[in-house]
This record gives sequence, C-alpha cells and structure tokens, in this order.
Amino acid sequence: MTMKITRRNFIAAVVGGVVGIQVTPLPWKFTDDAAIWTQNWPWVPVPAEGAVTEENTVCNLCPGGCGISVRKVAERAVKIEGRTDYPVNPGGICPVGMGGLQLLYDDDMRFPGPMKRAGARGQGQFVNITWGEAYDILAGRIAKLRKDGTPEALAAIDGNYAGTTTGLLVERFMRSVGSPNYVKPNAITDTYHMGNLLMMGKSVPMAYDLENSDFILSFGCGLLEGWGAPGRVMNAWGMWHDANPKNRKTRVVQVESRASNTASKADFWVAPRPGTDGALALGIAHVLIKKGRVDERFINGFTYGFDDLTSSEGQSQPGFKTIVSNKYSPVQVERITGVDAGTIVALANAFSKAKAPVAVYGKGKNNLNGSLYEFMAVQSLNAVKGRINRPGGVLVPDPLPLAPLPEFDPDEVAAKGLETPRIDGAGTKAYPFTDSLINHFADAINQGARSPVDTLLVFSANPFFTVPDGPGFMNALEKIPFIVSFSPYRDETANMADLILPDHTYLEKIEDIVWPVGLQYPLYGLTKPVVEPVNDTQHAGDVIISLSKAVGEATGSAFPWENFEEALQARAKGLFDAGGGLVHYDASKPPWKFKPFGNGQKPSYKSFDDMWGEMKSGGMWFQPVKLAGMDGLFATSSGKFEFVSQKLRQTINETAAQTSQKAALDQMGIRVAGAEAFMGHYAAPKLGVDRSKYPLFMVPYEMINLSSGWIATPPFLYKTIFASQLLKEESFAAVNPETAAKYKLQQGDRAIVKSPVGELRVRIDLFEGAMPEMVYMPLGFGHTAYDEYQKDKGVNPNNIVKALNDPVSGYPLWWNTPVTLTKA
Amino acid sequence: MKKSNDHGKPETGHESTNGSGQKYGMVIDLDKCTGCGTCMVACAAENNVSVRADQSDKERVITWMRLYKISNGKKFPHTEVSYFPRPCMHCDHHPPCVSVCVATATKLDFNTGIVSQIYTRCIGCRYCQAACPYGARYFNWWDSFPQDKGMDRYLTPEVSPRMRGVVEKCTFCHHRLMRAKNQAYAEDRRELEEGEYITACTEACPAQAITFGDLNKPDHKVSQLIKHPYAFRLLDRLGTEPKVYYLSSRDWVRKLADNFLPGEYEPVVNRTWAEDEWSTKPGRDEF
Amino acid sequence: MKNQSNSAGNGTPPRTGDLVPKWINLNIVAQDISFFVIGLIAALIVGWAIFPALLYSKQPQPMNFNHALHLDSEIVDGIDGDTPQEKCESCHWFRDDGSFSGIPKLDMCTGCHDDPESPLGEAPEEKAFLVNYVEPEKQIPWFVYSKQPDCVYFSHIAHVKMGEIACTTCHGDFASNKKLPLYVENRLTGYSQSIWGKNISGIYLNKTYADRMKMDDCARCHTEKGQEQNNACFVCHK
Repeated sequence: MTMKITRRNFIAAVVGGVVGIQVTPLPWKFTDDAAIWTQNWPWVPVPAEGAVTEENTVCNLCPGGCGISVRKVAERAVKIEGRTDYPVNPGGICPVGMGGLQLLYDDDMRFPGPMKRAGARGQGQFVNITWGEAYDILAGRIAKLRKDGTPEALAAIDGNYAGTTTGLLVERFMRSVGSPNYVKPNAITDTYHMGNLLMMGKSVPMAYDLENSDFILSFGCGLLEGWGAPGRVMNAWGMWHDANPKNRKTRVVQVESRASNTASKADFWVAPRPGTDGALALGIAHVLIKKGRVDERFINGFTYGFDDLTSSEGQSQPGFKTIVSNKYSPVQVERITGVDAGTIVALANAFSKAKAPVAVYGKGKNNLNGSLYEFMAVQSLNAVKGRINRPGGVLVPDPLPLAPLPEFDPDEVAAKGLETPRIDGAGTKAYPFTDSLINHFADAINQGARSPVDTLLVFSANPFFTVPDGPGFMNALEKIPFIVSFSPYRDETANMADLILPDHTYLEKIEDIVWPVGLQYPLYGLTKPVVEPVNDTQHAGDVIISLSKAVGEATGSAFPWENFEEALQARAKGLFDAGGGLVHYDASKPPWKFKPFGNGQKPSYKSFDDMWGEMKSGGMWFQPVKLAGMDGLFATSSGKFEFVSQKLRQTINETAAQTSQKAALDQMGIRVAGAEAFMGHYAAPKLGVDRSKYPLFMVPYEMINLSSGWIATPPFLYKTIFASQLLKEESFAAVNPETAAKYKLQQGDRAIVKSPVGELRVRIDLFEGAMPEMVYMPLGFGHTAYDEYQKDKGVNPNNIVKALNDPVSGYPLWWNTPVTLTKA
Repeated sequence: MKKSNDHGKPETGHESTNGSGQKYGMVIDLDKCTGCGTCMVACAAENNVSVRADQSDKERVITWMRLYKISNGKKFPHTEVSYFPRPCMHCDHHPPCVSVCVATATKLDFNTGIVSQIYTRCIGCRYCQAACPYGARYFNWWDSFPQDKGMDRYLTPEVSPRMRGVVEKCTFCHHRLMRAKNQAYAEDRRELEEGEYITACTEACPAQAITFGDLNKPDHKVSQLIKHPYAFRLLDRLGTEPKVYYLSSRDWVRKLADNFLPGEYEPVVNRTWAEDEWSTKPGRDEF
Repeated sequence: MKNQSNSAGNGTPPRTGDLVPKWINLNIVAQDISFFVIGLIAALIVGWAIFPALLYSKQPQPMNFNHALHLDSEIVDGIDGDTPQEKCESCHWFRDDGSFSGIPKLDMCTGCHDDPESPLGEAPEEKAFLVNYVEPEKQIPWFVYSKQPDCVYFSHIAHVKMGEIACTTCHGDFASNKKLPLYVENRLTGYSQSIWGKNISGIYLNKTYADRMKMDDCARCHTEKGQEQNNACFVCHK
C-alpha cells in the first residue's frame, strides 16, 4: 500500500480529524471556555474580599455634623451609611454625605501630596515637592514678611466652620504672626449669632426645637434643601408626615418665592417676593397684636421695646407694637410681599392656634448668610407669641463649655501688625458687629494698584466659586503675589495657588464639629480617621502647629501643643469640667425629649481620659435638652429680650455723636429712622440699577443633591439631577411660563441672563413653581476645576450676582440681582 | 404549592410568589419623601453602579433607583412638586421582563419574590428593557470603572461589577439578604427578624419614607401599610402585581400613578389641611 | 464518476464477487480508512492530550504548607476540636458576621512563627517563609484552588454549619496533605482547574463532589438534598 498523500487522502484525514475532534473535549471545552472568557474581561474590576468592619465617625462635609458609619472591606472603605447611634440624625444622612467615598478615592479630584505650581495660574499644573520643601518655602515667606515689618500682608481665608479647633488655630496663627486679616466665608450662622447678640445679648447658636413643635413657619429655611443637619431635619420631616393621620400633629408652612422641595412638600406654601420675608413676619405679628393673641406674660415680663419707649432725654419713641401696627398691616404687607392679605391673616391664625409654633429663619442651606433685619423680624414674631425659651420654640442654651485656648502675647512685630485695620472693613463703624466680610475682601484688593495682601492662605474654602461676583474674586486672586492652598482637592481657588499643602479629607482625620447648625441641645462632634490617608497629605491643624514653629520662636510659643490632637484635648477639658455630658446615645431616649427631664442619664466616664477615649470612638459629647431659667437668660443691657436692640442703638448713637444720626445710619446702610432702625424691619433695598433696563431678578437657589460650597458634588449625585436642571454641559434657569412667554422662550430654549456684572448662557426650564418675573438658577454648577465629573457642567450664578450690602452686617444680599433675559 | 423543576418554579405555571416562602416588598410614603435623592446615591454606592462623566442622558445613565419628578401643573403659587422614587417593582405576576428573556438571565424567585438578573448570562438583547413598563432596566453601553482614577477602590465585593453589553436593574439589594442570612446562621438561626434584611435605599432614606419587609408576614409593617387607604401601585391595572407600593395623601399624586380616563379616578382625600384651615378666610377689612 | 472508473480499471479484479460492487476498489477504501484513522487519531491526541496540556498552566504555590504537620495537635497548639471539621475551622474560621475567612492571613502564621531569627523547625521551607514573608511582613500570595469567578456568591456557613456538609465533600482531603499540589489554571478563562474538574471531558462521573465545582454540580447537590429552592439564580449569583 503506497502512502502517497493525494488530495483524496488528505480529505480522508481531515474528515477523520473532524470526526475525531468531536469525541474529544476540545470543541466543547473551548466553546465553554470562550464563553467564560467573555464573562471575565480583565478591565472589569473584581473587588477584593476581606473582613468587613464598620467604623463610626461623623460627617464633616457641612456644619450639620451627622453621624456616619463607614463600611470597610479589609482596608478599603466601600460604603457610607447613617448612624442610628448618633443623636443628631437617627439613621439618615443627605445624598452628599452618602456619596462621600467618591471624594476620598477620586484621584483626579485630589492632590497626591505637597506641590508647587508649574504652569500658569488657574491651569492646575503642579509638580510634586516634599513636605520639607513646602514648609521651607512658606515659613521663609512668612518670616520675611515679619522681618520686613509687614505681617499684615499675610491673609487667610478659612472655611473651617466657626468655633472649630482648626479654625481657632488658623486664627491664632494669624494673630501670632501679626495679621488681622483672617477672613471666613459667610454662613447662615453669622446672621444667627449677630441677631442673637443684638436681641438676646449673647452670640449663641440658634437652637430651634423643631421636634417638639407642632407648627413650623419657615421663612426661607431650606428644611429639605440641606439646612441645619440634613439627617436631623429630614428625619423630623418623616416624623411629622406619619402615615397615620392621628400622628400628624405638626404642620409645616414654607415661606419662599420658589416652589422648592420644602415649599412643595410643606402643608402650605406662601410665596412672597424675595427679600421681603421680614415684612411678612411683621405682618403676621401685626395680626396677632391686633387680635390680642400675643403672649402678654412673656412680653411684659421678659422683653424690652414692645411698647413705646422713653429715651434718656425723656422723649417718647414708638416701640415695636406701634411701628408694627402702623406700618405692617396685612394690606400694607401685601403691597410689599405680594402675599394676599387674607393669607397673612390665615397664617397668623394658624400660628396663634398652634400649641407650640415656631418661626424659623434661613436662606437655603447653611452656606449662605441671611439678612440681619429679616432674621430679627422673624425672631420678633417668635417673641410676640412668647416662643423664646419654650419647648417647641426657640431655645436659648449656653454655648458649649469648651475650654478657651490659653492667651498669648503677640510679640512686637505682631502687635504692630495687629493694629493695622482689616482690609475687608469688618468690625469698623460701618459693620461694627461683623467678624469678617469676604465679599469686601476682594474689593479691597482690586481697588489699589498693588495688592495689600502678599501671601494668602486658603483653608477648606473655594471663594472663587462660592462668593458672589466670582470674576471679581478671580481678579483679586490674580493680583495676590503668592497663594497657598491647604485644600486636598483641585478646586478653583487651589488651581490659582502657588503652593499646595494638602490637608487630609474628612475620612482621614480627626476634626471637631461645634454645635451642628440649628440643633436645640449642645453637641460637640468628633470625626476620626477611618482609613489610612490615601495620599501624602497632612492634617492642616498639625501643619499650622509645625509651621508656627518653623516661622520663629515668637509664633511657635503661641502653640504649646505637640500636635493637633493635643489642642483638641485642651479644649475638650472644658467639657469634662462642665460635667454631665453624655458620650453615648441611647436611641430610646432622644436628647430633644423634655420628659422625663434630662432623661435621667448619667455620664459613663470617670476621668477626662475615659471621656476623651469614648469621645474619640463614639464621636460625640452632648447634653440632653433643658430649658434655661428665665432669670439672667438674656445678657442685654435691659436683661430682657429686646425687640428694639439697645446695643444697636447705642452703637449707632456713638457713631452719630461724631457725625450725625443720618450719616451714621447711611454708613451702615440703614434706610429707616427712629426706633425702627434698631428692630427687625423691612426697607426696600436701593438697587442702584435702572430697572427698566433690567426688568427681572435673578435668584440663585440651593439644592440638597448638589453641593454648592467648597466640597465638590460626588459624581453619584449627578444621577439625581434632572435633565431639566442639567443637560450635557448646560444648566437651566427656571422661569415661570408666563414670564418666558413674554420673552418668547420655550422649554429648553437657550437664553442669556445678563446682570450689570456679567452674563451667563443657560437653557430655560418652564416651571410653574417659579415666581413670575424671576429667573432661578441653581448654585453648584459651573465648576472649572476638580475633575471631569464637575468641570464645565452648567454655569455658576455667583458669577453674575450683583450683591448689595446687608444693612448693619455688610453681608452680601445675593437674592436681588436685576437681570435681563434674552433668547440666545 | 409543589415545586418541580430545578429553578424552583411551581408546576401550575401560575407565575407568582407562593404563600409559603418570603415575598419581599416595599412601601414608599410619598408624603414623607423629600426628593433629596439619598436613596439613589445609596443604591448606586451599594451596588457598584457605574458613573460616567455625563449623567444627564437619562436614557443611558444607570439608576436602579430613580426619582421621577411630578408636578400638579397648577399655576403659581399653587404649584406643587412631588417625587416618585422608582426601584424595580419586582412584579409578582408574570413579570414582563422575565417572560421575554431568551437567555433565562432573569427569573422571579418564588421563595423571595425577587426578580433576579444574572449579568454573566445576559446576552444584551435588551428585550427585557423594552418589555418593562416601569423603565426599571438599564443597559450597560460602556465599561465604566476607570481603574486609573482610583474610583474602583470603593467597589464592594458583595455585588459583581457589570461589563459592557449587559442589562442590570434593582435587585432589592439581594446581597443584603445573603448578608442577613449569614449573620443568622452564625447565630444558629434560619429565620430572619423583621428589619434584618432591608435594602440600601430603605436604610438610607433620611425621612424614613421607605419601609421594607415580607408581604407574606401579616405582622410586618409593610403588610399593614399596604392596607392603608392611601396605598396604591404604579400602573396597577396592568396586572403585573408590583411588590412596591406607594402611599400619598395627595390625590393629584395618586392620579398620576396610572393612566386614568377623565372621571375615572376616584379621589381618596377631598380637602387638604391647608384647604380646611384656609376655608374661613377673614376679610382684609378686618384690619 | 471519474474516480470510480479509474479504480475499477486500475486495480486487481475483485474476488469477493457479488459482495462488493465492482466500482469499489478495496485498496482505495483501505487507504481512505487509513488516512481517516490517522486524522482521527491525530485529532484524539490533539483533543485529549495536547489541548489540555496547552490549555492549563501549572504553577507551584509560592511556598509549601504542610497541612498534616500543622494539624497535629501534639506539635501545634491551638488546633482544637474533636472532628476534622472543627480542626479545619481552627485556621479557616467563620467570622462573627457569618462570612468565611478563607485562607489565613500572615498574622495567623506569626502567632507562632513570630521571630524571623529563630525557626521553630528544621524545614528549609520555614526558613524561606521567615525570610520572604515574616520579616518584611508581606502577605503570601497563595493561589486559591477553589476560587470562583466574581459572579458567584457562595456562603460557606450555609453549607458547612447549616447544611452539615464536611469541608472534604467539596475540597477533598487537604488535612493529610504534606505538600500543596500544583495550582493548575485555565489559560483562557483564568479559572482554577478545580472548577471544571480534572476530567477534561466535562462528563460527570459521580465519584465525589470534590472533583469539580461547576454550576451544575451545585444544582445537582441542591436537588439531591431536596433544596431545589436554592437553585434560584440569585442564591448563587451576585
């Protein structure tokens, strides 16, 4: 048999092969494996397994301070959840807090370590340096300013919340160097503190006893937009709206010009023109007074200025009652606010009928300041009904008993520097009660040819994005020779910096939360590091302590602590000394329940070290709510709650003594005279703009699912943004269909919103819930920094806000920007 | 009911949960819902849902739990906005997505009432997506976990990340049921207590608007809430028997839950508190 | 037709007469069959020998671990328990949340092998272990024989504690092993050979469950044990 391989033989062999291969595993196994291969692409991540742990800490993304628990798999954090064993928020947190891990792990958003600018300012190009180099550069620069005798040319913008230890250390550092220019971004708490100082004589936090109230009349407070501690307020909201109608004892009325979530979800929505909330509050007070439904016991016993006053010269001056009776009748208020007089009467009836009503003041979330007189008007309404220091009303607790940091003596250079006036004008005769005015900070720099600030330190703040008139702030930043950012994030302001000393993020460090906004009982929260620092970062508090020592002996001696935690402990000793504070929360005994009084709970610790250890692991120190005694409650000169603030009157009179009453009032921006200037009132703002050219108003608004402050919006949250708020790179302005029709604008049309300051291109969302003649734009879009999730998404209304100065406080009034709307 | 085949499907062919096992369901109180979106974020974080730079293309962005915004359409200042948080309805009767799946990648588990979705089995035909009347199913148009950004570091091993080309949807956080069972086993139990297994959105809701439990257990809160006069379901009349219920005292909200002919909808509540309160308006002359 | 005529004309006349038609040339048929068989055999060799050899890679574990030695309670402290099950759990335990800890981490080893300078025994493997892992505090990158793909969820506690299934039922007898077997991995899928099983044919031979760990095997066992409800997709998938 010859074995010549013919074509035929070859085919026979192939057929044999094909038949044979069928009875081998090859085709079947290969098919199966190929299918499995497609199920396991190497680029689809396989998350590593490991032991699961839950680390309790506190959220520090806003001044709400909700308790959070971080779920970890081995060393990785994989989920953030609300804590049920934390008194502020029984289990819930807001969407920003929920998405917090994206702020930790997103490499594109964060600085890998200390860096030095490489490209042009604003481009965000940096090169790595070591911490040693970073300290040398900065300490050298500050030492030189001191050597040159110009320590005041160092300025700091510090976004750490008021009263926090890091904030105090930064402020202390500035003082030890010798600069008064320590500036904080505005917050609603500024208005609360100032209002409380003027009416109650003490600069204490607002303590709204929401949980015990049965009628909440909210003046612009974004209860569902992230005001206060969102986990607390939304939990209360759920409580108020129980499925069982019998348990629905609390009614919520929202006063706001736009149908926000709070307005829509409230039991009733009242829509006055923006900036007229104070008039509405006084209108309601007017009805109560006229109907005799005031709390006479409280008014007679514990207030000053309700009835007419006799001045020291014996002249009779009208008091709160007379002024409100004359100027704020429902009909008059209707003219100011646009709210129907009948509704004002009905609101007064409802407020008066309720057992425990409270009038709450706010402006969106916590980030933006309010107006002082507006707040005072709302507080007056509470006082008329005797809702001060009553369950379900406004409580007047003492400040947290934190030990003050020890005093130190600034050296000669510093003392001289501290005598120079603040460049933002805060604390001057125009703004006597104001600590800092970030809105004037940029103006001061832009005015002169040369920047009075040589070196700017920025902590936890992004003023370029968050302050009204962003372009103005940008100009100022460009003029400042040297900017140092301590931000862990590549935010807009950090991109302008020359030197980056990145802080840890909130999940990587210990930090304190001093009294969450609006809480009715004292609470001191502590975050803790739940993961090892992801990047080469250092705690800003530690950096400040080290820096003070690097700058020189004089500055270093003001910081007798080895590290940040020692400084924290030094303050916390005061909490221990005060006694009675709790460091564990029993969910069956909410601290806001008055009965049984104080819940009969005893502290679980014996020594300070015990307490500190438990605070570090539990993240809390608090005292259950209690009513203060009326004696000595108010620290005003009358010892009473002052409808007409004597402190304000005295300050104005002092200024007037040097010039004239009118000049004094003008300087402070007050547009009324007499006793009305010292109490909550409404006066139409002087816009200084030809309204015929700018017939509409632009009102920025805040959303709970869009971060509008320094913290960026975690990418997950963009899932919750509607396509009528952001579509690809364009954000929307909400306009009433009637108004839009006037300008021939339809849903989705592109339009230009133009103010005297600038213009923005938006798309139009026809929204029935928008007040006619208003253009509503969300705050939080329009980033030009961070990463691809944030960048170039929509526009930032701050860029075209033409802010007026709030009388007395000087804070920006950001809801009065006149604009035009044209089809693009 | 006797179960015959290896997929636990009852013999009768009546495709719905039997009475003996669990029948997990959800009640969402729209009066409590504040529209904050925490449920959506919690869901995405819990379930390794992908995020892309542009999340505004709502047809392609993946949101197992999605918030729909609705309005009563009234003129200013009587406008009201409300929200429908919409997870997978886990239809109890012939889930439309299940019957169309050619790859048996999705099934109704008769012992839990959960409609499953197996990504590795899915062939990406998107038939289920078309069939779902609630828009609860999402297709992965992209591979979405860029590993060079560090964002894969927060992924949980409890839920398998999806690849491009498959459909995904809400699973009622099925892995949490497994987690709860493991915990129970560790404590020598087989039965779960109420509340031991709840979804991430239920846990996250800061207003406690979401209640989760076993509809087969009369003492579970969900079983009681679905008897509430305010209770209703989305597109109830399709007969898909969703296991997600809603509560709302607002008639305009309830009316938007289905396609009613004019006059067909019967209001449950006639007057709101404000209408009651405001009904005796004193004239302005009084002042 | 051309072939037929060719074969009929060129070959020896057929002797089988009526049994074989004239147009069939047995020579040619024999050749056909030979070549067919050659192809067949080649395919069988490729399919049964070469393919599996190419498909799987074999790697030794980063270091040896002597299970038999470590399970000897006279030598090693802390191996408690009367049953083999309990002994396994001395190192492969359940966490408090019911999850399974899997292969122990280094800190378990350093409980005894704490001093890199002084080995407890004489084995050269131990010295290498002390130098390579204990001293630099580096985790040992073990290969996991029974690692399932990411889409699979498996609860050990449900099977071992609640189902009372011995470890050996699925994993085989590791306890008496003195040397760790090679880790055999499918180059295409990246799966361990233990999933498909050593029998490349994929035919279930009903020996023991320790042979393989495919989905069908899980389902079969569930059915055999009257746990059909656990064959619902979401019980084993995530």
